[in-house]
Amino acid sequence: MNSTITIINILLPVLYVCTFGIYAYDFWKGEKKFTNSKRVFLFITLLLHVVYLLSRTVSFNHPPITNVFEIFTILAFSISFSYFILELVTDIRGTGPFIIIISIIFQIISSLFIKESPVVKDILRSNLLGLHVFGALIGYSGITVSAVYGFLYLTLYKDIKLNKFGLIFNRLPNLEVLETLSYYSAVIGFILLTFAIIIGIIWLPRAFPKYSFADPKLIGTFSVWILYGIGILSKTFGKWRGKKVVLFSIAGFVIAILSTMFTNFLSSSFHSFY
Amino acid sequence: MNILAVSINHRTAPVELRESLHLNNDEIKSLIHLAKEELFSEGLIISTCNRTELYGIPKNDKLDVLDIQNFIFKYKDNSDVKPENFQTFASAEAIIHLFKLISGIDSLLIGDNQIYHQVKESFQTSEEMQFAGVLMKRIFDAATKTGKRAISETEISEGAVTVSYAAVQLVEKIFSSISKKTALIIGAGESGELAAKHLKDRGIGRLVITNRTPDRAEKIARELDSETISFNSFKEKLHEFDIILSATSADSLILTKDDIKNSMKRRNNTSMVLMDIAVPRDIDPSAKDIDYVFYHDIDSLNIIVEQNLSKRKIEIPRVEKIINEEINTFISWYNSLEVAPTIKDLRDYFETIRAEEVGKNKNRFSSEDQEKLDIITKRIINKILHQPTVELKKINELGTSPEETAVKVSVLRDIFGINNNNKENNH
Repeated sequence: MNSTITIINILLPVLYVCTFGIYAYDFWKGEKKFTNSKRVFLFITLLLHVVYLLSRTVSFNHPPITNVFEIFTILAFSISFSYFILELVTDIRGTGPFIIIISIIFQIISSLFIKESPVVKDILRSNLLGLHVFGALIGYSGITVSAVYGFLYLTLYKDIKLNKFGLIFNRLPNLEVLETLSYYSAVIGFILLTFAIIIGIIWLPRAFPKYSFADPKLIGTFSVWILYGIGILSKTFGKWRGKKVVLFSIAGFVIAILSTMFTNFLSSSFHSFY
Repeated sequence: MNILAVSINHRTAPVELRESLHLNNDEIKSLIHLAKEELFSEGLIISTCNRTELYGIPKNDKLDVLDIQNFIFKYKDNSDVKPENFQTFASAEAIIHLFKLISGIDSLLIGDNQIYHQVKESFQTSEEMQFAGVLMKRIFDAATKTGKRAISETEISEGAVTVSYAAVQLVEKIFSSISKKTALIIGAGESGELAAKHLKDRGIGRLVITNRTPDRAEKIARELDSETISFNSFKEKLHEFDIILSATSADSLILTKDDIKNSMKRRNNTSMVLMDIAVPRDIDPSAKDIDYVFYHDIDSLNIIVEQNLSKRKIEIPRVEKIINEEINTFISWYNSLEVAPTIKDLRDYFETIRAEEVGKNKNRFSSEDQEKLDIITKRIINKILHQPTVELKKINELGTSPEETAVKVSVLRDIFGINNNNKENNH
């Protein structure tokens, strides 16, 4: 089993790079040579990644959440998986390179440094925590994808305004589509973050009976959640649109990353497991 | 292949000369009528704003391209048009030119697929006028196939190459569903009308036209099943429009930055596209500084046009490859018209000789040997004719030119006197 895990661990970055290469080739050349095959390639990569995550869970008898590099491989998977679902739903296939490259970065770091922790805290063997982490990571992937589409929206917006009709203008979908993709990704991310928070609220009193509501992790997470909630409600029911919404999404993403880094690595929180 | 073609086009003559030889539909029909009487057994006449072309299979072998030019001058007299204003083609060159034309690579706007439909219509007129025989019909089919392949297998017709179409392409890069958008066309001149047609073709939700002279706006609105708005009051409703395309001949600005700013406020900063294709410009260019306003003038649209034209030029070799393939297929078919009957005639000729000689001499053989004699002589004839048959079939496969094929076939027929023999038999 361990040798299978080692082989897949080496294969995964290679497959992500190949998938990225095919998507990037189609984007660069503007051809539709690999329209269907690139999707199949991404599917195979994701399938192998699922096998890898399940193998680790079964082989080491805990969900792969016991160190940062296990978290990174889940992040790599969930970002590409979010994109895959979005591509299936919208049938917009030209933006893959901008998303898959993030998965490549996380997966390469993970594959290089991942190893089984000699001692795994009992708390990290909890399946409820596993569910919470998966929900949170897919949620964060959603807001990452939303921020990428937001960034692409701003780039195309600027290019059109400045009469720059280059690769971005020719290959990207139109502004309204980019705005919609950014919005839907944020909604999916928000729903999964909500799910993760609910699981966390159920699990927290069992694991840490003396937890405090003033914990930086709780404050940070709720702030990000409220921020996205306001953005989504304003877009859905209010008059927010276009640049304002995508800027909000990018700002939300930056705050979410900073908050995660601060609460997990710098501050003292019950949430610091590694 | 005895086909001739003459063409006056954008490469050979200025617009005033091309105009003078332009033929409308009725004139084409009348000229076909005359051409059938005087020049061609079958043919084709194409006339568009950029070219007038005549193709035909001469009734008389002595007919040349100068006769065709004189024939046109007789019908459309213009002393300014000189023979050097014509391109002339004979044999396979004429077919290649037609294939290039229908593929759009000979057009003023490279890849213009309007020419594909115009050539097809000309084919239909020829057929209606019984001006299309077996050869012309085959040429029509091959040309149509070539044009279709060029459009579908290459990007020769991709992207906008006119300013008004580039404007529509740009709109589609901002809005996802044009069918839910409202457009205002200011100015009902040629450019405005063309842009209105493009928007309508792309399925614009609501199209409104305004013009200083309302009659002209109403005429276009009727044609395009759209609305009009008074030129004096359209500014009050500016906020209703997602796309505003201005193409008037006004000397000063029609829409100021403040007009746009106010309308943006009223539409809660929902994106608005301003296309100013007028010279001098109709809309204050500083309107582009307003958020969610996408302002583009003729210069910026020309950037798109130039880019697309460059991309189309890159596609020309791919189209030429398709043309070569289709020409080879056509010539093989044409050669087979000469080769197949020759093979048959040659075999018939030898069989006749064999049958005669066997008939004369079979009594010298015993009855059981007569059957063997028949089999042996047939085998000898087959062996003798095997190599010539293979060589004749090769003419098709190797893509030999129709002229070369005609010479080879003619030499073979002369050597064996097949033509004479046939004629004698006919007598």
